[in-house]
Amino acid sequence: MHTLLMAVDRLSSFVGRLFAWSIVLLTLLISWEVFSRYVLNHPHAWALDAQIQLYGVLFMMAGAYTLAHQAHVRGDVLYGGFSQRVQASIDLVLYLIFFIPSVFALTWAGWTYAMESLAIRESTFSADPLPLYPFKFVIPIAGFFLLAQGVVEILRCVLCLREGHWPGRLKDVEEIDIAVLKARVGKNDVSDDVSGETQS
Amino acid sequence: MRLRIEQKFGFGLMALILITIAVFTPWATLNNGHIGIIMLSLIVVAMMMGFPSAFTLTGMGVAFSWVAYHSVAPDLAVQQTLDLAVQRTYGVMTSDVLIAVPLFLFMGYLVERANLIKKLFHAIHIAMARVPGSLAVATLITCAIFATATGIVGAVVTLMGLLALPAMMRAGYDTRLSAGVIAAGGTLGILIPPSIMLIVYSATAGESVVRMYAGALFPGLLLAGLYVVYVVVMAKLKPHWAPPLSEEERRVPIPHYLTPIMARHGKLALPALLRALFTGRGEMSRCALFKYLLTAILPLLVFVIILGLAWNTLTRPKEIYDTSGLVEMGFESTTRMALDVDTASGLQEPPMVEEFEAGGLQEPPMESLQEPTLMEPLQAPAESGAQAPPGAAPLAEPPATAAAVANASGEQAAARLPVPDSFWITTAVSAVALTALYLMLNFTRLEVFRMLLTSFFPLAVMILGVLGTIVFGLATPTEAAAIGALGGFILAAFYLAIERPEAERRRWWPTWIVLWTIFLSSIVWFILYQAHITTQPVPKALGTASMLAMMIWLVLATWQVRLIPILREAVFLTAKTSAMVCWLFVGSSIYSAAFSLLGGQAMVEAWVLSMDMTTLQFLILSQLIIFFLGWPLEWTEIIVIFMPIFVPLLAHFNVDPLFFGLLVALNLQTSFLSPPMAPSAFYLKGVAPPNVSLAQIFLGSMPFLGLVIVSMVMLYIWPQIGLWLPTVLYK
Repeated sequence: MHTLLMAVDRLSSFVGRLFAWSIVLLTLLISWEVFSRYVLNHPHAWALDAQIQLYGVLFMMAGAYTLAHQAHVRGDVLYGGFSQRVQASIDLVLYLIFFIPSVFALTWAGWTYAMESLAIRESTFSADPLPLYPFKFVIPIAGFFLLAQGVVEILRCVLCLREGHWPGRLKDVEEIDIAVLKARVGKNDVSDDVSGETQS
Repeated sequence: MRLRIEQKFGFGLMALILITIAVFTPWATLNNGHIGIIMLSLIVVAMMMGFPSAFTLTGMGVAFSWVAYHSVAPDLAVQQTLDLAVQRTYGVMTSDVLIAVPLFLFMGYLVERANLIKKLFHAIHIAMARVPGSLAVATLITCAIFATATGIVGAVVTLMGLLALPAMMRAGYDTRLSAGVIAAGGTLGILIPPSIMLIVYSATAGESVVRMYAGALFPGLLLAGLYVVYVVVMAKLKPHWAPPLSEEERRVPIPHYLTPIMARHGKLALPALLRALFTGRGEMSRCALFKYLLTAILPLLVFVIILGLAWNTLTRPKEIYDTSGLVEMGFESTTRMALDVDTASGLQEPPMVEEFEAGGLQEPPMESLQEPTLMEPLQAPAESGAQAPPGAAPLAEPPATAAAVANASGEQAAARLPVPDSFWITTAVSAVALTALYLMLNFTRLEVFRMLLTSFFPLAVMILGVLGTIVFGLATPTEAAAIGALGGFILAAFYLAIERPEAERRRWWPTWIVLWTIFLSSIVWFILYQAHITTQPVPKALGTASMLAMMIWLVLATWQVRLIPILREAVFLTAKTSAMVCWLFVGSSIYSAAFSLLGGQAMVEAWVLSMDMTTLQFLILSQLIIFFLGWPLEWTEIIVIFMPIFVPLLAHFNVDPLFFGLLVALNLQTSFLSPPMAPSAFYLKGVAPPNVSLAQIFLGSMPFLGLVIVSMVMLYIWPQIGLWLPTVLYK
């Protein structure tokens, strides 16, 4: 059971992290386009469409990854104070009534939507058109990973109800990791730096 | 303690809402509008259950839109619901406003990880040493700048909690004041542009991001200013809250090799350094001396460049396209000549024929290097008009006047415009200020300036660059955000490079300098071209070379300074936070579609209008609601769920959505500080020493909460604080 949970976690994380790198592409693409347009006076018609697609892929594919690491914003007023079993039962019910039906609907609808787009080989409306249908397939694919992660989360709730505590999760980089921040504030003393300068 | 209060409050609120629904819903005559209102009340209850809000919203949105469609056409309901869900999702995926969110996040995470907050705090602290309550003021300024650059409240509060709180406690500062300063200062990051919150508001309210940024600038600075004034006043009134620093703590460390120079050449930095350059620099290395000299003349350099560009802009000839009687090329060159003559002689009258001839002879203008043939067309019109042998002398003769007159009309406009007096006044005042600056610039101050130069200025330049290009319409927010992210990357690379061993750095410098020179050459050329100093656009080859140089440097630097771990973290965090924000948008756009399909929006509007409120009452009511929502909910949730409900009402009360947005932006500062759910206070508690209690942090934040409300009142009384800049810039 635990192996399965971890395997899906790993899959979601892998997919999310893979597509996360599109932020680097996005930054470089836009910077390059800005340079090309303003300095060289040579704009590209497809750049804007490419930007939008990179951004859309980035956040859609990171949905399951974010869920796997509990980084979606949640109201913590009451939840944080509940015992783990209570948390698990609330989550279980809400996954079943909110999450599964709506994400399933989204995946299903996204599939037909993308297939329609594929049938007509839809492309962007610009001077240099880019194909649009691969981008639309992102909806069902992201939905599928999200569903898989959702099922795993439901299993987690069941496990928690049975064992009384939450099963483990994969470690991931945190926005606020106090140990890391402490280390960062501690090292690299300013006075060291001044003496470092004096050598030059 | 904390849990009990919070839980009581939460359960109380939930019970209150549920009871209200049960009592006030006309169950017998239930229509769609009522269901919409129930849906709105239930979302607050459901959100407090602690389920990820994005999926709570999606779930309720899909369910209720099915209800709405089902009541109209039961057969089509499922298909319509599916279509709605996917189209709303696709809408978020193709939003050209939200695309800036991941880019700004990326920039923020890179800057945050560039590890300069410690230097920044130290430099500002030393620079502020004489101000009352200097540590607290320095903390506020550090928080404001760092939070503005990164936009990540939690990280700023945590870092400052680790850095500034112990420093203030050691200096004998009041615990509550110290805690409040950090909690409130770190929160400023979501208010002062460029901030994510303003983008999110713009995306929901359909307001332009550019206008929001321009509008939020002064309210943000106002609030930061109020905080600083409060701290300074308190430090004056109650010195025991913020005791002044001891002489020892205010001492600026000065490198040992400067002491002999100070002894020999005096304390004034610039003259002493110049003298040291020629009459012996003691044990100071040549390299260090040049570094110091460069630092010292930097203000002068900036002053000259800015004035030069300003002069160029102010006196630039009005462009005219009337080429009557002139060959295209000839006109171009006469304009240029007239310009050059004027530059040389400072004449403000339309130049005579001889003069521009003279100018052509003595001047080595840029074109003559690139297009030597330009000289000929210049004479062509004169020749044809004069019917005289060509040459310098005949040009001045009467027969030439026909052509000269024709030219003069062009030249009159083409000549440099007279320099306005205000320019000279500004120059004089700045020159006096600069002289005063250099008379005061002793080595201690130079050292402080150097510290600021390596910590404060890079961030300030980055923020101002991003903000300036957006606000002045030079680039779209997306473009500015991408350049900002690239800037964050460069900043991180340079700060990491400083931390590498000296020997390694020495090996890199030559390559780095070459690559950057190639890159900057086309940027400088471009600026000159934009300022009409050269007419030649950047050559394609140079531009391509610059781009390549930048690319090579990026790859090289990433590898050399070991940037990959930081980059990985920043990339992953960006992905997670963008997914959080954007999936919330997916949920809320499905949810708000369902809400208006059910007629809930119309119901709310009818209900609000029936109350017959004045604009002021409406504003107070809406801000109060947002204030109270800020207790249990986070700003993202408040904006994406409740702004679609408030914003359509604004038209009835003649409230500018921009103005409302600014009030909301100020108001949401309180959602970080007000108990029971105050993220800033909790972040701080997480790293504070054990003797600092949560209650002390809350009490410390209270005055700042009060100041937020003061700033909102000020914005209401003087809306120009927010609206002046957008109106001036975008009429």
